[in-house]
Amino acid sequence: MKIELFYSPGCTKCLEQQEPLQATARQIDPALAWRELNVLEELDYAVSLGILTLPAVAIDGELVFTSLPTAEELTDAVRKRLPQRT
Amino acid sequence: MITIGKIAEQAGTTIDAVRYYEEEGLLLPTAKSGSGYRLYDAQAVRRLRFIRRAIDGGFTLAEVRALLEVRQATSACCGDVRKLAIEKKLQIEGNIRALKVQSAQLDELIADCTDASGTLDECPILDALDRPRQG
Repeated sequence: MKIELFYSPGCTKCLEQQEPLQATARQIDPALAWRELNVLEELDYAVSLGILTLPAVAIDGELVFTSLPTAEELTDAVRKRLPQRT
Repeated sequence: MITIGKIAEQAGTTIDAVRYYEEEGLLLPTAKSGSGYRLYDAQAVRRLRFIRRAIDGGFTLAEVRALLEVRQATSACCGDVRKLAIEKKLQIEGNIRALKVQSAQLDELIADCTDASGTLDECPILDALDRPRQG
């Protein structure tokens, strides 16, 4: 599984919260790939995913959260996608 | 203090637009004259110019309102404004992408129509638009 966090450069909230969110996701899927993407450097990709607000989280190339999820919301989203990969 | 006509002129807009921004709560007259005319100070001129520039930059009235709120919020910083600008850019880039797809679709339709002298019944563009969507 691949989780991508798109952030606006200078967003301290995004950077502060990414670590606990990443830890939460890894507890469920230790093999997941976690990327933090500066939206200005990945603008075309962000647009192709339909991202309009920041921060945003995509899972396996699909826009899932249009703002930072809570640990619970991220856990649910990751769990929901696990069976599809087995 | 200046009148609504003067503030509109100084900000490069119209009296109707100033009234509209007032209705939308983006701008308020600083005072009213004895005869009830709206009057504006230098700060209102600055605010109106800000509104005009933001609208020219593609921001909607709701987004202009958000920008004005950020500007007045003591806890906000430049990064908050930048975030709004980046989100606007994402929206514009998304629109450009959608328009390019539409443009490419029109290219196909135009290319399909090789005989402009044909009847409407034979028109490949009308025919293509009439066809059910695939997928």
